Amino acid sequence: MHEMSITQAMLDLALGHAQGQRITDIHLQVGMMSFVVPECVEFYFEYLSQGTLAEGAKLHFETLPIEITCLDCGRQADLSDWADDPPRAIMVEALARGCRCGSKNLRLTGGTGFDMISLEVEVQEARGRMQEARGKKQEKKRRTSDD
Amino acid sequence: MVKIPVLKSITEANALLAAALRARFAQQDVLVLNFIASPGAGKTTLLERTIEKLNGELRLSVIEGDPTTSLDSERIFAAGVPVVQINTDGGCHLEARMIQAALEQLDVEDADVVIIENVGNLLCPTGWDLGEDAKVVIASLPEGDDKPLKYPMAFATAQAVVINKIDLEPYLPAKVSVLRQNALQINPHLAVFEVSALTGQGLDGWVDWIWEKLAEKRESRCTKCP
Repeated sequence: MHEMSITQAMLDLALGHAQGQRITDIHLQVGMMSFVVPECVEFYFEYLSQGTLAEGAKLHFETLPIEITCLDCGRQADLSDWADDPPRAIMVEALARGCRCGSKNLRLTGGTGFDMISLEVEVQEARGRMQEARGKKQEKKRRTSDD
Repeated sequence: MVKIPVLKSITEANALLAAALRARFAQQDVLVLNFIASPGAGKTTLLERTIEKLNGELRLSVIEGDPTTSLDSERIFAAGVPVVQINTDGGCHLEARMIQAALEQLDVEDADVVIIENVGNLLCPTGWDLGEDAKVVIASLPEGDDKPLKYPMAFATAQAVVINKIDLEPYLPAKVSVLRQNALQINPHLAVFEVSALTGQGLDGWVDWIWEKLAEKRESRCTKCP
C-alpha cells in the first residue's frame, strides 16, 4: 500500500541529486525487515517516472540482512547465513534462541532501512550540449520573428 | 556515465520532520504516545477509558488517524478532550507531515499528554516516526496470541504493549499468558499490561505507566535549555 508514496519519495530524492541530467541507474539498499517490496517499487517507479529525467532508469536492489545486537555482551550478528528462510521467521527464531553468551537481552539494530546509495547519470558530451543550446537559440529567434 | 553518491535514507524527509516535532514536543514538555494496533483491537475504547482515568489530573489532546470518517474523533470530542481527525484517504499509516498539519489545528502548548491513534494496521505504521516518545501496541486477545510472532516489528519498536479484551479469555482458544510471552520474546524491554478496556480491569497499571513516562520526560529535561 505505502510503496506508492515511498517510490515517489525515492524518485524525488534521485531527481534532486541528478542536477538536471538523465538518470540511467539507481542503486538501492533494502533491509530484510524494511517495509519495502522491491517488485512494488519497480512497478510504481515505471509509472511515476514517466516524463521525468528518470524515465527508463534501471533500479538495482541490494538486500541487507537483519542485524541483532546483544545488549549484554555487545555481540552483533547478522542473519545472512539463514537467508533462504523467510526473514521474519528467522528473526523470531534468533530472538528466542538468544545470544551465544546466554543472554536474551537482544535488540534489532539493522536491516530495517531503505537507502539510496548512488545514481548513474548520462553526461552529454560538449558537442551535444552546444548543439542543443544552439537549437534552442534558433528556435527562440524563429518564434520572436514569427510574432 | 557519471556516478553520483547519494547515501541517504528514502524516508529521510519523514525522519527529519519527526526529529523537529520531537524537539518541539520536548520544548512544550508534552509526552507523546503513538497507539499502534489492528483495526478493532480497542484503541479508541482504551483511549476513552484512559481519558476518564486521567481527566482532571492531566491535560490530554488526541490526534485521530483513520482512512475515512470522523467517527473516532466524535467519540473523543464527546469525552471532553481536544481532538483533531486526520483522514488518510485510504493511506495505511500516519506520517510526520500529517502530524505537523494536525498541530496547526490543535494547541498542544498547554497539554501534558498527546495521544496519536494511528491507522488500524499492525504493519505499516511502525515504519514512520511521528516524533513520539513511545509507541504503544494494543493487542487484543481475540486476534490470537501469535500476533507478536507474525508482526514482530510493531512489538520490536514499541515500549509498551496493552493486551486488551482479557475478559474474553474463557471463550477463546488464545491465552493471555502466551500473548505476553510471545511479545516479550520479540522485545524483552516491553512493559506489558493486561486489561479489559470494556470492564475497566487492569487499567490502573497502564495509567500509572503514563504518569511514569511523563515524569521521566520532565525530570530528564535539560536544565540549561530555555
